[in-house]
Amino acid sequence: MNFGDIARKRLSFLVFFFAALALFAAPQAAVAQATPQVAASAASPAAPPAKAADTSAAPAAPAASAYTPLGPEWIKGAPTPGAIDFQKQYSPTGRFAYRFHQVLLIPIITVISLFVLALLLWVTVRYNRRRNPVPSKTSHNTLIEIIWTVIPVLILVVIAVPSITLLSRQYKSPPKDALTVKATGYQWYWGYSYPDNGGFEVISHMLPDEEAVKRGEPPQLAADNRMVLPVGVPIRLQTTGADVIHAFAVPSLWFKLDAVPGRINEKTLFIEEPGIYYGQCSELCGARHGYMPIAVEAVPMDKFNAWIASQGGTVKGAKAALPATEKQPAASAAPGAPAAGQAPGPETPASPAAGPAA
Amino acid sequence: MATTADTFQAHAEEHHHDADHKPGFFARWFMSTNHKDIGTLYLVFSIFAGIIGGAISGLMRWELAQPGIQILGQISLWLNGNTDMDQALHTWNVLITAHGLIMVFFVVMPATMGGFANWFVPLMIGAPDMAFPRMNNVAFWLTVAGFTSLMTSVFMPGGTAHGAGVGWTVYAPLSTTGSPGPAVDFAIFSLHLAGAGSIMSSINFITTIFNMRAPGMTLHKMPLFVWSVLVTAFLLLLALPVLAAAITMLITDRNFGTTFFDQSGGGDPVLYQHLFWFFGHPEVYIMIIPGFGMISQIVATFSRKPVFGYLGMAYAMVAIGVVGFVVWAHHMYTTGMSVNTKMYFTAATMVIAVPTGIKIFSWIATMWGGSLEFKSPLVWALGFIFLFTVGGVTGVVLANGGIDDNLQDTYYVVAHFHYVLSLGAVFSLFAGFYYWFPKMSGRMHSEFLAHLHFWVFFIGVNVVFFPQHFLGMNGMPRRYPDYAPAFKFWNEVSSYGYLIMATGMVIFFVNLVYAFTAGKKAAGNYWGEGATTLEWSLSSPPPFHQFETLPVIEEHHSHHNAIGDASTAGAH
Amino acid sequence: MANRNRRVGLIMVLVALAMLGLGFAAVPLYRLFCQVTGFAGTTQRATESQATDASQFAKSAGGPTISVRFDAQVERGMPWTFKPLQVTQTMAIGERDMAIFLAQNNSDRAVTGAATFNVVPEQTGSYFNKIQCFCFTEQTLQPHQSVRMPVIYYVDPKILDDPDTRDIQQITLSYTFHEVKKEG
Repeated sequence: MNFGDIARKRLSFLVFFFAALALFAAPQAAVAQATPQVAASAASPAAPPAKAADTSAAPAAPAASAYTPLGPEWIKGAPTPGAIDFQKQYSPTGRFAYRFHQVLLIPIITVISLFVLALLLWVTVRYNRRRNPVPSKTSHNTLIEIIWTVIPVLILVVIAVPSITLLSRQYKSPPKDALTVKATGYQWYWGYSYPDNGGFEVISHMLPDEEAVKRGEPPQLAADNRMVLPVGVPIRLQTTGADVIHAFAVPSLWFKLDAVPGRINEKTLFIEEPGIYYGQCSELCGARHGYMPIAVEAVPMDKFNAWIASQGGTVKGAKAALPATEKQPAASAAPGAPAAGQAPGPETPASPAAGPAA
Repeated sequence: MATTADTFQAHAEEHHHDADHKPGFFARWFMSTNHKDIGTLYLVFSIFAGIIGGAISGLMRWELAQPGIQILGQISLWLNGNTDMDQALHTWNVLITAHGLIMVFFVVMPATMGGFANWFVPLMIGAPDMAFPRMNNVAFWLTVAGFTSLMTSVFMPGGTAHGAGVGWTVYAPLSTTGSPGPAVDFAIFSLHLAGAGSIMSSINFITTIFNMRAPGMTLHKMPLFVWSVLVTAFLLLLALPVLAAAITMLITDRNFGTTFFDQSGGGDPVLYQHLFWFFGHPEVYIMIIPGFGMISQIVATFSRKPVFGYLGMAYAMVAIGVVGFVVWAHHMYTTGMSVNTKMYFTAATMVIAVPTGIKIFSWIATMWGGSLEFKSPLVWALGFIFLFTVGGVTGVVLANGGIDDNLQDTYYVVAHFHYVLSLGAVFSLFAGFYYWFPKMSGRMHSEFLAHLHFWVFFIGVNVVFFPQHFLGMNGMPRRYPDYAPAFKFWNEVSSYGYLIMATGMVIFFVNLVYAFTAGKKAAGNYWGEGATTLEWSLSSPPPFHQFETLPVIEEHHSHHNAIGDASTAGAH
Repeated sequence: MANRNRRVGLIMVLVALAMLGLGFAAVPLYRLFCQVTGFAGTTQRATESQATDASQFAKSAGGPTISVRFDAQVERGMPWTFKPLQVTQTMAIGERDMAIFLAQNNSDRAVTGAATFNVVPEQTGSYFNKIQCFCFTEQTLQPHQSVRMPVIYYVDPKILDDPDTRDIQQITLSYTFHEVKKEG
């Protein structure tokens, strides 16, 4: 596996190398056009590990009505033994970021490193004491100094464009009807609550290694209760920490967000395919920092609704998202009782000025 | 000690009567005010701390060689008296914390700023000693006290088990409400002590460099190593007090009920991260910039050529230092910051690649057209340039806030900063060590062993750290004692690499023993005509007190060759 | 020479002390910075008159709406239940609205809590105005007492002029209650 990968990698390096040469040669304007083509050609060698590709086709679509947890054949976002690459990406921003990394960053840093190496080898061969006993006295050359200042700047500009694009894509705010899920980091497990579905919280601990193996899941990554999410819709994922800082991370969805106590963080998550995606806590949070994995189970919406029902939650759209608990408590010791004008805003149907986010 | 001053005969003889008068053992080494002795103390201390820090990384690689828990139980048994699982896992966090703090504060900084800068800044600028010799001594012993405090913390209760398990970043609230017990207090106090010592030395260096340069040595004629120390001293002076403030607030949050970083009292744990990294990012340049200076001296010496683009080199370091202060939040991309903040820090961070590139290419241009002699310092310097480039380009990858979302807190980051520090800073340290060791000790090391050390170490560290890029991209988080079986292969490779690297270090120590027992006496300028800075005008080792008559750097000479001038100094 | 050294050394000591002071000053400065700019999702406080101005603007502007989500939690170990009574509210931008949170003390002792809060997306912090909030002061709940806690707020119409915020359809307002430990 590892070595087959390396071999394929080497071929793809060639592609990258020439792509990079093209990038260097092409005037700025052409870069924008060149990139997608390179992306296409790079896509095949950068394809996911064979195992994941096979399994995604094999099982039938998850059954619609009743909820049963996905079996291990649905594992998609997990590390590959001996891999030298990112995990395969299953979100649009993840695929964009991955392409950015493979098509632009890897070629550029490889070429720069090899260029420096080549220069070093060249001076050792050409300017050693035997071949060049009398050193030159050159210590200035304004032109070359300008060149090696300006060219790195240009390279950085080439990197900055997709980098900024990636950031703005990642930060696109979710629409107001997006499903909201809140991940709370505890020492040392995760809680996933679903405020739009009755506000219940699922507690998720790591499975013991033997149990994980028995279920056909990777040890250290499998959890007893997974975070179940729908596919194909934007999800407003919010994180917070209950005690210390944790970080919610799923590499195959290109997602990482700190869970900071006392505040909430938010980002949009979009999962393209049903499957199981693993992640791990990514901020040092004490003794069992390494033992609070994240297991995301992405299923079609109808199955997600079935899961919600099985948890005793209310399906969104079926209205009444109020947490149906205590009735009106009497005492209003709260400061500044709400006497002041509390006119609820008129429900005007007008959409926000700019329309749906592009 | 020998005082045969081959190239500086007149001067040496002139002062033979008192220049080499040394105080007794205790007064010399415990109350030392001599910059060379203090430099030696720092180097010895740094090597000692390096052995401990390196041994800890050995334990870590041993633990990580296989999935599952290998040796944490035994270490925990030794530290805590039992093999409780949680305590064993806490011990892991103690190891990573100790490794980080030791390597940063007690190995690299004492070696660069303490050891080499103390030894050679006065020599290179033609000064008799540092501006504040007694403060120099206090600074060293503060560093030792800091190290003692850190070592003590390992045996103190620290919450789940003994020791401070908070990472070298000491993030609140894990370091405040999350870690009861005095261990974290001791660890923080060790940073106070080491920080105070470093601030003192930086004040000392700045004053020395500003006021005590030999007549005629203008700022623009100073050797680049002196420039690098000046820039580093300013970074220390501006960054360390901020760390001191931040960790003082941690102490009061822990012990005196304040809530600077405690959300329950309206504090903000993210603010601690801002303060820490406002210090922490300049800190990485503090570790590497003196290395830049040493590499510049070495490359010029063995090319027999002046440094290419001297002014560009000097001001590139200044630029790196300045920009280093405005990029800190790239360590915090995932803490939840708005898109505009993230875009700013992405762009600002990438800017640092430009002055860094200037330095790399200027070193190569210095060698271009030169007459390279592959003595051990140059070989280490070449290794430095390549490995630092590799570490630098992965920094460009990580600078992209959107890419960092996947790589933050993974082994990719570990690989990146070890390439610039463990492979960058440490290679420059060994380059400088082999360059100056005979000057300092008066004995030649074995060039063969120095080359062998290089090759074994070079292969070793690359085998250790290159696979960690793969682990990080594949998703392995850092600071984990255990991992999914998929990460086994490269972890195992990495652990084997540690054995190779450790073998390299054994060669280093063998070389030291060789030098002190069988090494040839070193001449004053044993590297020959390429070595042009003032220290080469003195004997090896230099007299206990040098430059009692100040050397004069004449107008028509340029910055990089002072030797002709210095040899005239004796005549003054 | 010794005098010159002392002078430079002293200046450098002052620089170090200034940076030390800056380190401590960072705490109030950061708070101020967040309050002024809304950095890190810090909400604004508004007076009645400002709120009235905003709502007049809202009426004249024809009232595009925005949705606000409410989130509540307590720190680990605090014996309270704390939740919003409404998950979301939709109102015209500029129009004030009130949200109610319910806090209940589940223990047999009086517990005082203080709330921290922020809004996401972060860049909306400078447009989210609170006129009244339980988070402005500490709250004490007697044993098993439960209390409805109101927040009166509006979203500044200027949110529509900012290219970074005008596409945002929903703002989440989050509160976390922390137990205030009484000084011994």
